[in-house]
Amino acid sequence: MNIHWPDLTMGGYGFYVWGSYLFSLVAIVWELVSLRQRKRAVVKEERPAAARPTVLRGSTHETTS
Amino acid sequence: MNLYKYASPAMFYPLAGKMIPWFAIPAALLFAAGLFVGFFIAPTDFQQGDAYRIMFIHVPAAWMGMFLYVLMAVYAGVGWAFNARLSSMMASSLATTGAMFTAISLVTGAFWGKPTWGTWWVWDARMTSTLILLFLYAGFISLQAAIDDPRRADRAGAVLALVGVINVPIIYFSVQWWNTLHQGATVRILGKASITPVMAAPMLLILAACWLYSIAVVLARLRVIILEREQNAARFAEVNA
Repeated sequence: MNIHWPDLTMGGYGFYVWGSYLFSLVAIVWELVSLRQRKRAVVKEERPAAARPTVLRGSTHETTS
Repeated sequence: MNLYKYASPAMFYPLAGKMIPWFAIPAALLFAAGLFVGFFIAPTDFQQGDAYRIMFIHVPAAWMGMFLYVLMAVYAGVGWAFNARLSSMMASSLATTGAMFTAISLVTGAFWGKPTWGTWWVWDARMTSTLILLFLYAGFISLQAAIDDPRRADRAGAVLALVGVINVPIIYFSVQWWNTLHQGATVRILGKASITPVMAAPMLLILAACWLYSIAVVLARLRVIILEREQNAARFAEVNA
């Protein structure tokens, strides 16, 4: 097994090779960021609802007290 | 241990949260290993030069796009047939990741096609059917987003997913059924691979990474979908888990 440093120009195909990996990285980062934003939106929506006394919260207090 | 209780979205919510790191961390390690083998160990191809290194991401992404569509159709079908809410939510969660991998396979394929075929795109059977797969994903996501009632959205999505699944064998066998510009399979489940192990290794490592990444992200999105639909019950189950 020989370990070698890759030629950064990729033998003249650098634009295509690095372009492919850059696009893949951007797509993965986009997916993770959009998922994070969606989660934040749900949590933000949840906070005002949690501030109000709900049936579920009321029942929890009843069982624990 | 009663496993059936995890069919309830609220009960599955805390379990999914615990499972995510077990898939996300090995996914990152396998991505790193695959890229290391692909760029530091795999030799330059005598015919395609270094352009062939695009295959290390293109092939796993193309496989993931197809596998995730089949999985999405199965979950959507089960959700529709048995009125299983968690299954339908899982199908919704799979769609975005499947669409992302299909987009990666199309774009990286174009990046490979330009230096090797001399063109970014041809209306070849494999490429056209993969583009249709991306449209099916987009249709599924749009259809679900367009219907306010989640149960109706799940049913409509299931019909589209099940009808569209016919496209997957068409993609897979297109290189055999038609005379296409796209090359045939180099890594086969049955039979000998026509690629040397040192070149196949990064592809398989990145494929494993893509699988683990997909499971982690799909579970994370599933948790968000559960919160969107059944917020109170999910939070209650997490507190009591």
